[in-house]
Amino acid sequence: MSLAARHLEENGIPTVILGSAKDIVEHCGVPRFVFSDFPLGNSAGKPNDPLSQAETLELAFKLLEAAPGSRTTVQSPQRWSEDTEWKLDFQNIDRVPEEEIRRLRTEFDKIKQVGQKVRSGTK
Amino acid sequence: MSDAEKSPDIVEAHDLPVPYIKRLRDYYLTLGYGNPYHWVHYSHVPFCKLQQPLSESRVALVTTAAPLKPGAGDQGPGAAYNAAAKFYKVYSARSDEEQFLGISHIGYDRKYSTAEDINSYFPLKAMQNAAKNGRIGELSPRYYGTPTNRSQATTIEQDCVELLALLRKDEANAAVLTAN
Repeated sequence: MSLAARHLEENGIPTVILGSAKDIVEHCGVPRFVFSDFPLGNSAGKPNDPLSQAETLELAFKLLEAAPGSRTTVQSPQRWSEDTEWKLDFQNIDRVPEEEIRRLRTEFDKIKQVGQKVRSGTK
Repeated sequence: MSDAEKSPDIVEAHDLPVPYIKRLRDYYLTLGYGNPYHWVHYSHVPFCKLQQPLSESRVALVTTAAPLKPGAGDQGPGAAYNAAAKFYKVYSARSDEEQFLGISHIGYDRKYSTAEDINSYFPLKAMQNAAKNGRIGELSPRYYGTPTNRSQATTIEQDCVELLALLRKDEANAAVLTAN
């Protein structure tokens, strides 16, 4: 998504990204970025919370109007929850029991095979 | 500083943005995949200003969410990671119609999130409201879906080119892109 934003911007279309993977988006470098410190999958706001969603989008509009230059990130002031355990859990290999690793590898091999099959069918 | 003096705004040491690049690298290396994804980094970042007020702009919505693919298994809320639901071509669809878009093909946080509300990852309704109340001039007549290809060359040479062509055709003045 970062590459798409860069390409549109290079060709005269101002962009803003809504996202939750701060390091990934900023590592690439994008013109404008609204960072929501939420679990992945909620870049447009909290589920079943139209106010959270409207406020997130409003930050995007404000950036489109007023960002002073590229690499402008604004962090949403919203908090996902008081409990921040989700930040320690996501794909944290240190929290995966050793006996689980082989199973995860087998599972991911299958996922890759399916993905390759779908991709071959697209071409 | 004693705990009694600690500001309620000071958070736990781990309460920082999740270091996804390191997490993913460590995860897949430990699983035995020896070719970690290389996240591209640029020294130059393009920037262009909005050429007219937002209230007069036609704004496009771009997403990585996927249209429902018949026969490809569970793609709804809470679905397990579903590679069969992936798509590899840029697509577009009318932005004045409601339809299901899922993120079962994406590695979102399934433990703390269920994708039960499309509006949390695809803000079409919020964009439609913004157009209705005049915050933006109008919503582009279509929204646009872009794949999450592992190949950066494919993304740049194929997907980005097709996406730009669609936005130009629809005369979009600005774009909101929702990552997942």
